[in-house]
Amino acid sequence: MNHPTDTSVPLLAARDLTKSHGRTPALRGASLELREGEILAVTGPSGSGKSTLLHCLAGIVRPDGGSVAYGGERLDRLPEKRLSELRRTEFGVVFQFGQLIPELTALDNVALPLLLAGTARGQAQAKAGEWLERFGVRGQGELRPGEMSGGQAQRVSLARALVTGPRIVFADEPTGALDSLAGEQVMSALVHTARETGTAVLLITHDAQVAAYADREVQVRDGAVVPQGVAV
Amino acid sequence: MSGSPQSSPQNLPRVSLRSDLRLAWLLTRGSDRREWWRVTLTAVGAGLATGFALGAAALASVSGWYRIPFANGLLDEPGTRDGVMFALLLLLAPVLGFLGQCARIGAVHRDRRLAALRLAGATPWQVRRIAALESGLACLLGSAVSTVFSVLFMLRIGPPSAAAWLGFALVAVAVPVLGAVVSAVSLRRVVASPLGRVRRVRPATNKGIRALLLATVLLTAVAALMVATGTRGRFNGLPLIVFTLVVLTGMGAVWLAGASARLIGRLLATRARSAAVLIAAERLRDDPWAAARSHAAALLVAIAGTGFMGVREVLLEGLDPKYAYAPYSPEDLAFYNTGLDLTAAAILVALAVTLGGLAVGAAESLATRRRGLAAQAASGVPREVLGKALLLETALPLAPAMVLAGIGGMGVSTWYAVLAGDGRPAPLLPLLAPFVIYAACVLTAAASLPLLRRTVRPAELRYT
Amino acid sequence: MIAMSTRHILLGLLAGGPSHGYDLKRRHDERFPQARPLAYGQVYTTLQRLVRDGLAEIEGTDSDGGPERTMYRSTDEGGRELEKWAAEIAPPAPFVTNEIFAKVVVSILAGGDPAAYLQAQRTAHMERMRQLTAVKTAQGADLATVLSADYALNHLDADLRWMTTTAARLTTLTTEVYAS
Repeated sequence: MNHPTDTSVPLLAARDLTKSHGRTPALRGASLELREGEILAVTGPSGSGKSTLLHCLAGIVRPDGGSVAYGGERLDRLPEKRLSELRRTEFGVVFQFGQLIPELTALDNVALPLLLAGTARGQAQAKAGEWLERFGVRGQGELRPGEMSGGQAQRVSLARALVTGPRIVFADEPTGALDSLAGEQVMSALVHTARETGTAVLLITHDAQVAAYADREVQVRDGAVVPQGVAV
Repeated sequence: MSGSPQSSPQNLPRVSLRSDLRLAWLLTRGSDRREWWRVTLTAVGAGLATGFALGAAALASVSGWYRIPFANGLLDEPGTRDGVMFALLLLLAPVLGFLGQCARIGAVHRDRRLAALRLAGATPWQVRRIAALESGLACLLGSAVSTVFSVLFMLRIGPPSAAAWLGFALVAVAVPVLGAVVSAVSLRRVVASPLGRVRRVRPATNKGIRALLLATVLLTAVAALMVATGTRGRFNGLPLIVFTLVVLTGMGAVWLAGASARLIGRLLATRARSAAVLIAAERLRDDPWAAARSHAAALLVAIAGTGFMGVREVLLEGLDPKYAYAPYSPEDLAFYNTGLDLTAAAILVALAVTLGGLAVGAAESLATRRRGLAAQAASGVPREVLGKALLLETALPLAPAMVLAGIGGMGVSTWYAVLAGDGRPAPLLPLLAPFVIYAACVLTAAASLPLLRRTVRPAELRYT
Repeated sequence: MIAMSTRHILLGLLAGGPSHGYDLKRRHDERFPQARPLAYGQVYTTLQRLVRDGLAEIEGTDSDGGPERTMYRSTDEGGRELEKWAAEIAPPAPFVTNEIFAKVVVSILAGGDPAAYLQAQRTAHMERMRQLTAVKTAQGADLATVLSADYALNHLDADLRWMTTTAARLTTLTTEVYAS
């Protein structure tokens, strides 16, 4: 839980985000900061706008209003092509499920972001193998996602999210479909690796035990982030 | 549900059939938009199949020289009439491919629903019957519409013979019955487990295909026997042989399309250097039969198209007064031209139906995978890569098939040129046909790209 | 862990063989990590009571070079008592003792801000859960540590969930408290 000393400039900062799905407002002025190397849990009841907030922060969705600043760039203004590139190279994404391509082996799934970046297949597979090793699923490298347990598939997803050496990993309920023991393994794998590599993690969860893996917690309620440090 | 799983359905067949029918109707009515697409497109396919089969039946009911006031006398002669019948039966092949693709629309959804029925206590037989009724009803709708229009058309020409009526009745009933039977057979794995299929597991040996092959071989044997003994004349035997040949060729083409897709998938999966090729190759390897029916139809159309263009060129040159050894009367020229035009029209219809099947297949594949695709886009896989993979999935397995079709078609036209026998070289223009058809298929796949754009919306990520 | 009987735990530690007070305390703290550490005085008085009730007896003294220490060992009756206790079920929450709930009600009665209190309590709970998670996931944490941390984490999590639902129903609760 030792942050880098310089916490004055956040790595990612969102101000007054608003976003509606049709007529239903999902975000009503949400603001949030993520510091370098920090593991931040975003909690809140279902339907509070957590996922939409993550989508805006990761550049998956363009907010209706407000700003998202990442390293001098305004994500809310970037063209889709640049956003896609950012998500591929500087961000890693882990969802509850579905981010692995069912037809590809675990190894190829992890190698995919490297292939997209132009790495040769053999080299990409070698690096993917190292990451599978790191998450204890090297033996499952030739399996396809449907042939693995949920916990194994999520650890492969973590490997895929981290293989490009991103600065931020966005995790949306990464343990949502797992039992508590598999969830614990996934969470400690994520947290240990993030600390080793200095990767910041934005973790969406409704589970306090999962949120407890983070350095800090913010709560989302009715589309806004609850102000922190509300004293007694 | 009527009765407990233990009570045999034979106890009250009428009541349970009626309740099954009601259940099938309720399920269809309550199902989502995509299932309605399946029903509508299945009805359209069944209507087309009925139409072509009815045309063949009507022609088969006429014997000897008979004046039909259409197509410049092309239908008057028994010989050319057989040709037209052959063409009509041949058109069934792409229609079957189209129907095969239609059956895939919302298939995952339907499988899940049928599995839920099993969980709720329905017997496998009941579930199969409900599903069969669903497709049977859709086919009945198409066949009924088609039959009504055909009968009206026939009545305008003149009073149909008893044989024509019989043929019509047979076709009108056979299409929905066949639709129901095929749907019951194809669902045999789904109904086996109340928990449904979690992932696609294909049986090592396909008993259904084998049974179909056996039936076809038997049918051919019977037809050959009938022709050989000559007891009933060629009129009854020939259509059967022709139909059998069509089915055999179609199955061969399906097998070829699937096998080449699998081979290409396997070869490329290990060698792929780019993400798009890797994704496409692994998808082909995983389910090579997904588009095999449409691709098989494209293959047949390409062979027919290439062959036809060659034959047409040789024939037209022969008809040209410059080369003509004997002058043709204008009636003769009109007769030949009509024949060629009709064949061209048939091939174009076949191509259109085939492309329709391809489009349906591409759209369905996107709709089924929309959540996964949205997740890929969210994690930074560029949409262009996903689109390229989609195109490659169609383009890769079709390429060798088209080469083969080109060779086959050129074989036909060269053979015909040699047969015409005046030492002229075989025409080369037909070589264009496979390229044009290939381009059309790839363009059809490309037409689904706007759908991809809509599919990869982040809204699809909102799972519950 | 409030109702945990120190008597029986000491008897259990003695079941492995004679031991002296300081050693018992050390072994207790090792075996039950994250539990409230035993005070030496508490160990001493408990041992005296065990001897008084005939459940343990003095084995002798042992100086081992250092200061003199009294060695205790379990009696047969002590063994039987221990067996009986270990097989007895722990009464599942016979009384609801909920300090947080009491504070919420009192806060309503006194016209305070129960919502702010719940939020602050939540923050404190989360902080403790983070500490326990850090202990549990530290490199080389043994299973006893992981399991006792898990036990506490699950209880804190239950508290948190209860606080969340309570916070969402404070208005109704306020009406009810004022009505009676």
